[in-house]
Amino acid sequence: MADKQFKKKISDALGNDVLRGALGRFGDAYIISREKAYEGYNFKEISDNIAEVKSYAASHLDEMIDQFEKAATERGAKVFRAMTGEDAKKYILEVAKRNNVKRVVKSKSMVSEEILLNKTLMAEGMDVQETDLGEWIVQLAGQHPSHMVMPAIHMTKEEVADVFSGHLHRLNQPVIAELVKTARVELRKSFIEADMGISGANMAIAETGTLIMLTNEGNGRLTSTLPPIHIFLVGIEKLVPEFEDATHILQALPRSATGQQITSYVSMVTGPTPAYYSDGTVKDKEFHIILMDNGRRKMYNDEKFKKTFQCIRCASCLNVCPAFQLVGGHVYGHIYTGGIGTILTNFLNSEKDAQNPQNLCLQCGKCSEVCPGKLDIPQMILEMRNRIGAKEGLPFTQKFALDVVSNRRLFHSLLRMASVAQKPFTKGQPVIRHLPMFLSGLTEKKSLPAVAKVPFRDVFKTIKQDVKNPKGKIALYAGCLIDFVYPKIGEGVIGALNEKGYEVIFPDGQSCCGAPATYMGDRSNARKCAIMNIEALEAEKVDYVVSACPTCTHALKESFKELLHDDPALATRAEELSKKSKDFSKLLFDLGGLTPGGDGIPMKVTYHDSCHLKRSMGVYTEPRKILTDTAGVQLIEMKESDRCCGFAGSYSIKFPELSGPILERKLRNIEESGADVVVVDCPGCLMQISGGLDKQNPKVKVVHTAELLLEKRKVKKNRKK
Amino acid sequence: MKNDQTNELYKRFKAKLELVAGECYRVNTAIEAGELVCKVLEEKGVQNVALLDASISKKGDFTNLIEKKGITVYTDHFREVTPEAQAGITQVNYAIAELGTLVQADADANVDQRLCSTLVPIHIALVSTVSLIPSLKETMATLHGLPQIPGFVGFITGPSRTSDIERVLTIGVHGPKQLVVVFVDEETGEVA
Repeated sequence: MADKQFKKKISDALGNDVLRGALGRFGDAYIISREKAYEGYNFKEISDNIAEVKSYAASHLDEMIDQFEKAATERGAKVFRAMTGEDAKKYILEVAKRNNVKRVVKSKSMVSEEILLNKTLMAEGMDVQETDLGEWIVQLAGQHPSHMVMPAIHMTKEEVADVFSGHLHRLNQPVIAELVKTARVELRKSFIEADMGISGANMAIAETGTLIMLTNEGNGRLTSTLPPIHIFLVGIEKLVPEFEDATHILQALPRSATGQQITSYVSMVTGPTPAYYSDGTVKDKEFHIILMDNGRRKMYNDEKFKKTFQCIRCASCLNVCPAFQLVGGHVYGHIYTGGIGTILTNFLNSEKDAQNPQNLCLQCGKCSEVCPGKLDIPQMILEMRNRIGAKEGLPFTQKFALDVVSNRRLFHSLLRMASVAQKPFTKGQPVIRHLPMFLSGLTEKKSLPAVAKVPFRDVFKTIKQDVKNPKGKIALYAGCLIDFVYPKIGEGVIGALNEKGYEVIFPDGQSCCGAPATYMGDRSNARKCAIMNIEALEAEKVDYVVSACPTCTHALKESFKELLHDDPALATRAEELSKKSKDFSKLLFDLGGLTPGGDGIPMKVTYHDSCHLKRSMGVYTEPRKILTDTAGVQLIEMKESDRCCGFAGSYSIKFPELSGPILERKLRNIEESGADVVVVDCPGCLMQISGGLDKQNPKVKVVHTAELLLEKRKVKKNRKK
Repeated sequence: MKNDQTNELYKRFKAKLELVAGECYRVNTAIEAGELVCKVLEEKGVQNVALLDASISKKGDFTNLIEKKGITVYTDHFREVTPEAQAGITQVNYAIAELGTLVQADADANVDQRLCSTLVPIHIALVSTVSLIPSLKETMATLHGLPQIPGFVGFITGPSRTSDIERVLTIGVHGPKQLVVVFVDEETGEVA
């Protein structure tokens, strides 16, 4: 759970309008420019290629390092392997002292930020200048970068002008072109006078000993051209096997990082090149390459985190992250920010440092969709959560809640009690608008639904199923929200499947799918839920298992298998359940869908894609087809239909201050679509969005696909009878 | 046939370069290139220029042509002159049509090549039209096929730029503010 200090950082960031404005504008523009930059290119093919060459390097790391060292040494470079940041700093300091270095220029190197190199050099009396404009601004302001690619994205031109004025002791106007000109003049002096240059690299080619840098400003070129001593400081994850393998990364990095086809400059350095010395002679420069580990190998040796080697540091995961877009980089606390940054912090700093920021992940999966290195960042963050949960246990209230949920009888009787106890709050309404003060954060931006008077498991017994020419049997897995809050959805599912010739059964022993435990890092309770449901659903006896909640479907299809892989008997049953489980709209579509029809009454509908349904299961055309096959429905696409609604299970409870603004954006997009009804396939999204609309725009209704079918096809069904 | 292909590559290069605020020209002979460069320098009000002589500028007698216009031409001591020079002229090895990118890949990694193309506010790049390569992929293969990877390979795509303050695109940070590319059809031999 996030501690107080962390919560304070979040509320400060949220209160910073400048930051929110800058991040918001960039995030919106980024999506468009990235798409445009990839036009005519096959992103999947490029990312497959990157994953292939980088995973090869990861699994042959010693060989790569040996090969690189040999090739670079043959070309005249001195290669040093630094196990730790301290080793790297010691080596750099020795080179500097031996050569009596006074002035150092640096072109962008996140690795040097990681080990706080500037501090070490400056403590020895050296003048150290960052030369990437953003890094220079951040350096002068005494801050750290808040973004890997755009270090000063959190600052306004006014703030930059103030920083420049303070540094140069003369007034600088907040005019961007002027500020850039000033930086050119000031840093030009540093370049000309520097005795030593320090650079980072985007790639290190094992075959040829080549280092490749991508920059736009030209600082990388100047750092490799002017000073007679040059040190490259490179993390071992930059290794790429062969020269032409770099093509794939050159195709992806600028497009994914800034939406450019290519950066203004790409510099490839192989061994020392000639430079001017202070006496005017031209000869080969002194050239060092430091390959730094500093905790990386531990990360790559860990089976669950090995793929972080495939990261090319484009930061696209930050740019599309709904949480990052709200709070920016500084909230993450260390050099590397966003989702990937949280993972790097966990290994390169400490697990403790990553404990707070890992909570920020919504598990929406948008980052994996755009990652050119094919990293499953949410999955890795979940693994961190599991390890924290296993090692330190969850806070008492969370643990207690999850213990209750994994105990079916206790959980269900509490829910039944709640349907009575909530009355003072609902005041007879179908939604809870106000909660006692200590819980008020929960209902500030949205209303909470009331627990249903009669749970679906009881409603089920009263439903008459009329199946002509029966084809088979389907087990319905309801999940908590349908069972206890939205029983109507269950009725819709049965109606539609009956029409396709299937009898639907409701195995009584079913209970929570365990997702809350899974996403909070409580594996033991998640496992209990998995076993309970596998035994209750008896997938062996039915043709399909249907769920109308994609988060539950994901648990049935994926999580149970993973949780039980070490128990052969249960693993077999989990596999069977996984194969037979389908989300409602996918199953209905696969069974051929309903024959086009419906009441024909005009209805303007927009569709919200749930994160799990679209990104975990790749289902998004199917529900749209089902909707448009319904007479009267006019489907209008909203903007960003697959952007997370901010529910994310317990996230909306842990971080109502973040969940709220994420929801607001969704509501804005819904409103702009002009639709009267929002259709969703996930009861979690339904709860979140209807709660928000109830407060802001009660005229727009939210329904589940199954409910819409029930409503729009009722007439026809009655006629049949 | 070969001509059509070259025309097509040139067209693609020019379109891409112009998208990133570069200027692009094509001439038949080295002499015409010299005349064009003089015109460009005059139009931009340049009074002195650092010229790293290579096959095109030699054949086109650039030094004489430019000096005749009253513009000072520096042909050595580049470490001293380039920080103050108003423009620089160099010849590059390849051009990538797919991206509008120039490629510097001298076998000897000549430092003057970089001084004359990086420190100056205006960079005029000369390139043989036959050096056009269709794609990035083929360019990487070409470089890989050289006897060894040159000590410094520099890709240049348009002028220097930044968006580090408020994400506003600003041209000309540490490198040139203007990039002028002149393609020369006449074959003049290797760069150096």
